[in-house]
Amino acid sequence: MGDFLGQYGFLIVTMVQAGLLGLSLYFPLQAGQLSLASPGFYAVGGYVAAILLTNPAFAGWRDALGNGMFPLTWLAAALICGVLGLIVGVPALRLRGIYLALATIAFIEILRVISLNLSITGGAIGIFGIPQAFGFQDRWQYIWLFGPLLILTLLFARQLERSRVGRAFRAIREDELAADAMGVPPTHYKVLAFVIGAVLAGLVGAMSAPFLNTWNAKQGTFDASIAILAFVLIGGSRNIWGPVVGGALLTAVPELLRFLADWRLVINGLVLVVASLYLPQGIVGALGGVRRPPPPRRPPSVPVVVEAPGGGS
Amino acid sequence: MNRAALTIALALIASVSAEKVQTPVPIGVALAQTSNTALLGQEQVIGARLAEKHINAHGGIGGTPIKLVFQDAAGDENSAINAFQNLITKSNVVGIVGPTLSQQAFAADPIAERARVPVLGPSNTAKGIPQIGDYVARVSAPIAVVAPNAVRQAMKLDPKIKKAAVLYAQNDAFSVSETEAFQKAAKDQGISVATVQKFQTTDTDFTTQVTAVLNADVDLVILSGLAADGGNLVKQLRQLGYKGLIVGGNGLNTSNIFPVCQKYCDGVIIAQAYSPAQPSAANQLFVKEYRAQYKKDPPQFAAQAYAGVQVMTDALRVLDRKKKLAQWDLDELRAALNKQILAGKYNTPLGELRFDKEGEILQKDFYVAQIRMKDAKTGTFVFLK
Repeated sequence: MGDFLGQYGFLIVTMVQAGLLGLSLYFPLQAGQLSLASPGFYAVGGYVAAILLTNPAFAGWRDALGNGMFPLTWLAAALICGVLGLIVGVPALRLRGIYLALATIAFIEILRVISLNLSITGGAIGIFGIPQAFGFQDRWQYIWLFGPLLILTLLFARQLERSRVGRAFRAIREDELAADAMGVPPTHYKVLAFVIGAVLAGLVGAMSAPFLNTWNAKQGTFDASIAILAFVLIGGSRNIWGPVVGGALLTAVPELLRFLADWRLVINGLVLVVASLYLPQGIVGALGGVRRPPPPRRPPSVPVVVEAPGGGS
Repeated sequence: MNRAALTIALALIASVSAEKVQTPVPIGVALAQTSNTALLGQEQVIGARLAEKHINAHGGIGGTPIKLVFQDAAGDENSAINAFQNLITKSNVVGIVGPTLSQQAFAADPIAERARVPVLGPSNTAKGIPQIGDYVARVSAPIAVVAPNAVRQAMKLDPKIKKAAVLYAQNDAFSVSETEAFQKAAKDQGISVATVQKFQTTDTDFTTQVTAVLNADVDLVILSGLAADGGNLVKQLRQLGYKGLIVGGNGLNTSNIFPVCQKYCDGVIIAQAYSPAQPSAANQLFVKEYRAQYKKDPPQFAAQAYAGVQVMTDALRVLDRKKKLAQWDLDELRAALNKQILAGKYNTPLGELRFDKEGEILQKDFYVAQIRMKDAKTGTFVFLK
């Protein structure tokens, strides 16, 4: 058991972490917004935590708060990412579909270049020597942070889906114009969905900085956005379990196949291709399809025989 | 619940670690075998493999062969941590050579530090690596030591140099640290830095930077980048009419640069932590074995990885003489190995090496070379005295 946790503890926590990042993309997607900004907020959250935990300017706070500093970093990261999400979201969400995706990629690039050039973020080397949350010694102990966050997020997502806000999200996803006509303000709800995703990604980032021991500009890149998008698409984008399953699976596959050496990347690629070809609804979507009876189909069009007046030809 | 689980886990870990050292002696190697860092990592893997072959062909450690256990650390932090965890808990290695990048070292080395497993960084050159912990040392000289030599050499070639332009890849940790060392070295030599230009390792068009350099009217260009971007920058500088000397950083110390800047590479001065021309017997043997297999001179990354494996084995040999390795408890050996690594003196292909008490390398020789191109594709690094 100890051996197992020593070897796979880090992986298990990264699986949960990947699921959470997938969920951060899932919220905007619920309102029909294809945003790739999650890694940006993830990086910002990590930087906020790393700076608060290592910068000499905050030494006084750290001494005064002790372990209370960690929840403070989460709070700070969530707050900063929320505000940043609002600032970016309001103008960016005037765009739709692929244009929004492009704008969010631009946002990630801007953040990356800024963090490379600031001295407070440590430039290209980044910030290192980040103290361990609550004196955790082994990587698997971080499950005590990421696990509850995942459960809370899933509960939140479930409640959200059933609420008025969730229904508004779905209405906008299905048809923005119609939703607007029905009195659902699209901008308001789109920004809300975007900010929820931003706050979640920021929180995950803040928890990840001590988990990874170091933080640098490589954390929030375009590659990461594509990876997170793959979590959601492979897992299934219409169900809260989709991003969680997709994130866990895509993180685990290359690691569990380590014994295959270079071939593990080939297998990983195959999983991506096969899943996207044969499971267009994602893994969870496909599983749901098995259990649920097929949706009612339109009755086959029966040729309508019209009796000609007069009794025939 | 939390505490109970912790206690059980700790007890299990404790029971596991009373293990003996395996034979052949497993040494972990966590390098970038995939990802975009693999360009460097593959050279390191070759170096490590050569070391293993050489050591085992010469009787291993007092008759016991060594076995390198490779785990791909790719180019990201997560993979490096996973590779380290695998080596430490599954393969029960006595020590680890790796990872490739400094950023990865900042993520993965604390794992080894907590598990009390000695780590030798083969190519981690950023400031603060040996300070990660007691169990972390490196065989790669920090840039602050290597870079000034090249600037001094440029002054020797052209004593009239007054103004320099400094260029660096701002998204590469190595180049960012190196440029600081270069700028300081230039100022120490009485050269004024007229302009500092940044680029990205992924850039291909450097017109903006080159124009700024030409406008500044400098007689020395100091360039920190990697092979592809650095090579292209050299090429575009020459194509647009820059005539003065060019000093390239350690990232350009690879023959991979020749196909990129082709005949324009000629004359570039390179700071090296390793030179195939190093005259020691250890190096000449390494160069011979490398040439026999790969038909070219060994690059620095291969030599450093070779040195990493060699240092670990030499230290193990000393311990083996005290008590046969197979009789040691793994934990005990790891701790003793760490002490022994720092205490010893090693004759490696890099020249004579020692470590200070933090694990920082004390390397005796550094080298400066100038590129000489035979034709468009092939060239050599000519060792400058």
